[in-house]
Amino acid sequence: MRLEDLKESAKDFLHEFRYQKGGIIGFVLLVILVSVAVFAPYITSPDVPERWSKEFWVENPQNAPPTWINYFSSEKLAPHEVYTIEDMQVEDMGGGRKIIKIVYMNSYDSPPKDIVLKGFETTASDVRQKPKMTIILKRPDGNEIVLMKDRRISSNTVIQIATNTEVKNNVFNWAKTTSGVQLNPVEEIKLQALMDTMKILFGKVDKKIFESPVPLLGEYVFEIQITSSDDDTINLSNFTAVFSGRTYGLMGTDSKGRDIWAGLIWGTRVSLSVGIAVAVLSVLIGVVYGVASAYFGGWRDELLQRFNEFMFSLPVLPILILLGAYFKGHVDLVQIVLLLVLFGWVGVAKVARSMALQIKEQTFVEAARALGAGSGRIVFKHIMPQIMPYAFSQMALSVPYAVMTEAALSFLGLGDPTAVTWGQMLYDAQNAGATINGYWWWVIPPGLAIALVGLSFVLLGVALDRILNPRMRTL
Amino acid sequence: MSFAKYLGIRIFNALLVLIFVTFVVSILFVKVAEDDAKTRIAEIINNEARNPSLIRLKANDPEAFEKWKRNRMEQLKREFELDKTFWERVISKTKNTLLLDFGNARSPVFGEIKVSKIIEKAIPRTVLLFTTAQIIITFIGLILGIKAAQKAGKAVDKLLSVLAMLTASLPMWWVGMVFILIFAFQLGLFPASSLPDPNLEGFAYYRDLIWRMLLPLATVVFVSFGGWAYTTRNIMITTMHEDFITVARAKGVPENRVIYGHALRAASPPIVTNVIIGLLGSLGGAIITEAVFNWPGMGRLYWVALQQSEVNLLMGVTYVTVALFLASMIIADVIYGYLDPRVRVGR
Repeated sequence: MRLEDLKESAKDFLHEFRYQKGGIIGFVLLVILVSVAVFAPYITSPDVPERWSKEFWVENPQNAPPTWINYFSSEKLAPHEVYTIEDMQVEDMGGGRKIIKIVYMNSYDSPPKDIVLKGFETTASDVRQKPKMTIILKRPDGNEIVLMKDRRISSNTVIQIATNTEVKNNVFNWAKTTSGVQLNPVEEIKLQALMDTMKILFGKVDKKIFESPVPLLGEYVFEIQITSSDDDTINLSNFTAVFSGRTYGLMGTDSKGRDIWAGLIWGTRVSLSVGIAVAVLSVLIGVVYGVASAYFGGWRDELLQRFNEFMFSLPVLPILILLGAYFKGHVDLVQIVLLLVLFGWVGVAKVARSMALQIKEQTFVEAARALGAGSGRIVFKHIMPQIMPYAFSQMALSVPYAVMTEAALSFLGLGDPTAVTWGQMLYDAQNAGATINGYWWWVIPPGLAIALVGLSFVLLGVALDRILNPRMRTL
Repeated sequence: MSFAKYLGIRIFNALLVLIFVTFVVSILFVKVAEDDAKTRIAEIINNEARNPSLIRLKANDPEAFEKWKRNRMEQLKREFELDKTFWERVISKTKNTLLLDFGNARSPVFGEIKVSKIIEKAIPRTVLLFTTAQIIITFIGLILGIKAAQKAGKAVDKLLSVLAMLTASLPMWWVGMVFILIFAFQLGLFPASSLPDPNLEGFAYYRDLIWRMLLPLATVVFVSFGGWAYTTRNIMITTMHEDFITVARAKGVPENRVIYGHALRAASPPIVTNVIIGLLGSLGGAIITEAVFNWPGMGRLYWVALQQSEVNLLMGVTYVTVALFLASMIIADVIYGYLDPRVRVGR
């Protein structure tokens, strides 16, 4: 095949492709998917795969639905927000005293789950030299609550407002005195243990503040006063306040607090690379196997066909499961690709053989042989180019199979536990009982993503098939 | 070659495949089981060493304790057959598996400890679910496929192709999860777990069983009927282009008779084979779908075996699935041969 011929056929192909609506949709979807996979580090953060299987997600809320559900529900849930030092007002009072103000606009029916303060960096080594911190909350109704008084802080201090005992006691006492609710001692102990600190902090002061707090909307100011013995002993440049939300980001979080959106984006990489690698490898192997079988003929053909039939008569998934179990559930991605290729080439080889058998008997092959062409030349110059169109459409059509089988294996816990894959996400969802708890944001998106990859390749494959194998068009 | 001879060769081939697969799988199995047995022996000895009399022995006479430990280790090794060579174990495992003796599970599943008994309980349930599903799919598929073939190129036909493509890209088990989410959690219409209540008896038991079967059944049908209808359509269109259909129409046979009497009869061999192959395919997808629904069939067993690393159980279910798969291939062949006499001679 000369270069001009190639150009010509590429032009013809593009011309015909324009009339395949499905193919164009498939192509556009594929371009989107590939760019998502390529730009994953920029869309989310580049350290997601590294952090995925480790427990680095503690600051995120668990099982939080996506933030946009607020548009569809009457009850507004506080989203996840992170305040860095730039978002706060810092006043230096001199003499080692600093006042940090965090302004939080509460317009939600359900306040944040927790507020986590961390990132104090002190150089004080002596316990008595450690800076002291006092936190005061100024509420929109004019009330002020001292949440914490003169707490000594060190570099590894992490303060969780909702569960901190001192804060809990202070909030409880404040709520009791300001609302004037009468409680008997037994009730008091029970309430103190069970109360939701955040709901009281962000609730209206009335008789029902303990039983069913009504949200108080408006501007809340957290005033954090830090007193250190010396100006240099505290560095607040990494200080953050995490308002742990009842909702999180674009796609919510799972039971470990992992960002599902990040998982979806990064999963595209694994899914596409596994799918394409399996499809290309198995189709190439299948074509070579089939053509070799047809070209050599005789006992070699018989032998190769017996083996092909043997592979064809095996149920794929049970055997794959057994092989996966043999690797003890730590099958890395390369192994998964090889396992899928092991069974993927069989069908292609059958069709390629029958196609090659037809081509082999045609007169132009005979002519080539009469002119003294060797086996290699006949196979690669005359037979292969005729089979390649079929091979290309088969590659596209094999991708969905590979993607789904990979997801199925991961779903059974036989995938690569360190990789971010959609099947793995669904496996975690199944184990955490996501379906019976109604965590739809965890169950639906990964499956839709799998279906989307499948659909785009099916559309592309069918369009290629129609263009490259015109015999099928009558159907 | 007579049909009986042809069938004989097919069965012989299938048996060879089965024996070979069992042998290869046994090699893997023995390797896994060896590590498994070693850890279990260590566990058993550690447990027994906590016995007060043995602790006393250890304190008074460490040598005697070591001797007891060695003896016990030898005894356990014999029990777990670790004293035999690797290939001896592989051969005996292959033989036992072929004779359906899979050994015991470590903890009871479905109230049974013997793997063969567990599988015996699971198979009818899988067959019940997927045969019912396949019957429904076949009917819906035939009706839709014939309709689409009659109106090839029209709106109905195009809609069917789109539907087939869409549902073919959905993983069946994921659709199951979504169905649970919608129908069990959100609407509360069906139970999330399809495990039947064992306390019920008689009529009430069957009613409970059917009620719990509906959701998995709906899942399988929903995912498969589009693709199946599309296949039927393609087979029907090919048949409708043949000369005998034109002849039938030309001599004035009513259109319904042409379709159901002439075309469908001629198209039946590939349709029937496809139904059987569909059943085989569902065995694969079924593994995970059953696990999602807690349907206590073969798929559930795979899930249990993998989650609790029950090696014997995994070996048993794999063997039975492969054997069933091979058997169904032969049955498909026989039925094809019955419906289309041309294939009976040679091939």
